[in-house]
Amino acid sequence: MQIQGYEFPEDLHYDPEHFWVRVDGDELVMGMDDFAQKLAGEIVFVQLPDDGKKLKKGKKLAKVESGKWLGKVLSPVDGVLMGVNEALETDPGLINRDPYGEGWMYRIKAEDAGQMEDLLHGGEALEAWVQAEIAKHASEA
Amino acid sequence: MQAKSKEKLADIVGQENFSDGIIDLVSYSSDASEHSIRPQAVVWPTNAEQVRDVVLLANELGFPLFPRGAGTGLSGMAVPRSDGVVMDLARMRRIIDICIEDRVAVVEPGVVYADLEKALAPHGYFYPPDPASGKVCTLGGNVATNAGGVKGAKYGTTKDYVLGLSLVLGDGREMRVGGRNIKSASGYDLAHLFVGSEGTLGVFTEIILKINPKPTATATALAIFDNLEDAGSAIIGVMSSGIVPSVLEILGRETLEAINQNTDLNLPEVDAMLLCETDGFTQAEADFQMARVVEQFQKNQARQVRQASGGEEVVELWKARKSAYAVLARLKPNFVLEDVTVPISQVVRMFKGVQDIAERNRVSIATFGHAGDGNLHPQVLWDATQPGETQRVEKAVDELFALAIKLGGTLTGEHGIGLSKAAYMGLEHGSVSMDMMRVLKRACDPNNILNPGKMALEG
Amino acid sequence: MSASAKLEIERSFRDQIGRCSRCGFCQAHCPVFGASLRPAVNARGKMLLLKEVLEGKLELSRELAESIFQCTTCASCSTNCPSGVQVPEIIKAARRDMAGLGTCHPAFVAMDQVLEQYPNIYAEEEPGDFDRPRNQRAEVVYFMGCVGQYREEEATEAALAVLDHLEVDYTLIDEVCCSGVLEDVGFGIKPVLAEKNLELILSTGARTLVTGCPYCFRTFNNKEVYAPIKQEGVKIVHLSQFLAGRDLGVRTDQVVTYHDPCDLGRHTGIYAEPRKTIRALAPNFVELPHHHADALCCGAGGGVRGAFAKNSLDMARRRLAEVEEVGAQVVLTECNSCAHNLSNAKLRAQKFRVLTTPQFILELLEQSQG
Repeated sequence: MQIQGYEFPEDLHYDPEHFWVRVDGDELVMGMDDFAQKLAGEIVFVQLPDDGKKLKKGKKLAKVESGKWLGKVLSPVDGVLMGVNEALETDPGLINRDPYGEGWMYRIKAEDAGQMEDLLHGGEALEAWVQAEIAKHASEA
Repeated sequence: MQAKSKEKLADIVGQENFSDGIIDLVSYSSDASEHSIRPQAVVWPTNAEQVRDVVLLANELGFPLFPRGAGTGLSGMAVPRSDGVVMDLARMRRIIDICIEDRVAVVEPGVVYADLEKALAPHGYFYPPDPASGKVCTLGGNVATNAGGVKGAKYGTTKDYVLGLSLVLGDGREMRVGGRNIKSASGYDLAHLFVGSEGTLGVFTEIILKINPKPTATATALAIFDNLEDAGSAIIGVMSSGIVPSVLEILGRETLEAINQNTDLNLPEVDAMLLCETDGFTQAEADFQMARVVEQFQKNQARQVRQASGGEEVVELWKARKSAYAVLARLKPNFVLEDVTVPISQVVRMFKGVQDIAERNRVSIATFGHAGDGNLHPQVLWDATQPGETQRVEKAVDELFALAIKLGGTLTGEHGIGLSKAAYMGLEHGSVSMDMMRVLKRACDPNNILNPGKMALEG
Repeated sequence: MSASAKLEIERSFRDQIGRCSRCGFCQAHCPVFGASLRPAVNARGKMLLLKEVLEGKLELSRELAESIFQCTTCASCSTNCPSGVQVPEIIKAARRDMAGLGTCHPAFVAMDQVLEQYPNIYAEEEPGDFDRPRNQRAEVVYFMGCVGQYREEEATEAALAVLDHLEVDYTLIDEVCCSGVLEDVGFGIKPVLAEKNLELILSTGARTLVTGCPYCFRTFNNKEVYAPIKQEGVKIVHLSQFLAGRDLGVRTDQVVTYHDPCDLGRHTGIYAEPRKTIRALAPNFVELPHHHADALCCGAGGGVRGAFAKNSLDMARRRLAEVEEVGAQVVLTECNSCAHNLSNAKLRAQKFRVLTTPQFILELLEQSQG
């Protein structure tokens, strides 16, 4: 769905830190959402840790940099890093051009699938959250 | 140029290999000569098909095309016309094959000389012509200009190493000439038509070069002559002594004085200094040859001879020769480096003639060069802001070329004709030759779209 | 040359720009050209543009920014120029002219504005957390620099840990950006920031100012506004000089190489001290193919990482190819900015590691402690 010009596919789950998560078999795929990539500007570097890295919900998974911003990718769940999008190594701009498709970032095996419940899902919840985020950043600008 | 034409160009090479931005247009408006004309656009083809399609498009739409390597040419051959498109071959830079068995290296035109040298080194091989711009120049440019270098006396120039070419003719037809054969007597030697053709007949997409095993030992000597005639006799003596040195360079008095003024090398300010190198596969071989050389130096009144075999000392001996161009370049705001070449027996006459021309025209000319193959480099220095100087320089340069031709020489040993010497072509080449050149040009490029306006081909 | 000429390049650099003979030999050295093969961004290309500006054929317009601002000021070109053209100084002057004309690259207009409002180039409001006291009285005052404090925290933490291990009596300060970089990108050092740094540095009573950032080091050493530091008798030292000759008590067999940062090497002549420390740690030290004054720029300097990140990383990859060529397991450097750009550019498939020397020292210390 479109919310004030930002794309937010409704079938995905969203971490309030602006990462989307998709269930793919017994793994999760995650990336940055449209709001975050627009706010960051052109992504110039994405840290791609080694497979097998242990992840804790809410803790730093990796670093992301744009021209003006350094951000942390936080893991949405406890688990293990199963894979990364290697195309981002030489073309990090994929995140800006196609944040939900070719710009996917990490594959994770979750320890506890139940943690997905904490993520936002569905039109109404999404709408409310995104509007609040837009307002928050507008006032900070 | 119309937007539609630019779109078609971008379609052929890809948007990322096309530009009509001002910073690119300005950077492609000149080479290392003083000429400067801004083109309409530039393309960077990445394969032979794109080269062909750009040439075909140029023929179809009628715009001129200017092939370019590293843009280090000294005679303006890469300088475009204001209605033209520059085709920079730099992005075609693969070393396709190095085959020691066949004794060849096959390269795309944009391969930088130094990169080929680096790739050959682990095999113990080298590509002998070594232009001074080797760190930046491209093999495509080398072939297009028949580039020379310091090793010409023994190893010849580019033309002696080109075995075959793949190219796109000015009319867009693709052609392969020569091959990987060390020798061939089959049909006209078309490959060598294109060597030195300065981008006026075709654009190379692949070049097959002969390579040599690299001699592992060298001997170097520096000789000082109070008298230019003695240096001249020494040159003739060395070159006819029965051995061929790999390098025989000369530095004239004015050059030595200039080097002393601008470095702390403290060279003797004499008529001439000769730097010689011999090479071989054993030190004994190199030394044997050097003994013959030193004999000739001594026979011809060399005041002093310094020798070295390898290491720091050799670097020391070469320092003066290597610093010549740079030192002279800093002396005056304007300079032009000529490369008139004469038969070896005429080197001293040419040298003296240059000094005489400089004096009569009240112009500074410092000379150094490849004595071993008669290729002198008079470097004319002046300040264009001083009234009358430019005119005097122009007259001096006229006289320089006239003298070289009179002595049976050629306008250029390695820098080519381009724009800078086009006006003098008639001095050296008779009307039959010039006519033949124009016939060949028309045969390869009937619409005159490849590098037009160069080499006096348009009369 | 007109002393009253509007443009600094005309007033101060007309002769120099005229001296460029267009030989093109700089193409062998310029890292921006090496990574892009585009003459417009080579040193010669930049001189050609400025020649035309001086001849009145071209305006110093925004369109020229892509060339004039895409220079790391590494000085590889000028070091090798047969005609002795001081390209980096000319570029900095041209940038100041463009800033004056309002055609400066937006990334640097933004940087200038950020430093009006914030104490560092990243617009970070909070100081980095290194869990050590600040603004104390001590023998040594350690200056981290913005990159060290906000982009390479692990490297800075390692530097501080090494100082702790050596029991150096040092203090951090609530430092602000030295702002030296602004002079390279069209603007000027912020007096307010400089004064703040001077006040903080001098109140520590330290006899030595040590910094891990070669750029801050140059700024403190060379810029007029920071003259009071030396006037007060405080020695200014780069961390590599501070550590050289100290016995760290650890060694490794790993094959280690060293990347000379432009700001420490070519610009300042500090080549020996870093190597002294590294060779003592790692006897299997190998030089990169281009080293000392010949070192290949990592691509981050002169503001290029900020304004042309992709090209900056391409340049870094060219440098990393040399690390692979010599078969090193570790490449060390003494500049956080180099470390940042090189580690960002390193591909997953490349198995060597990029570290600052202090990070490597700390690693060896921790390993030896079991």
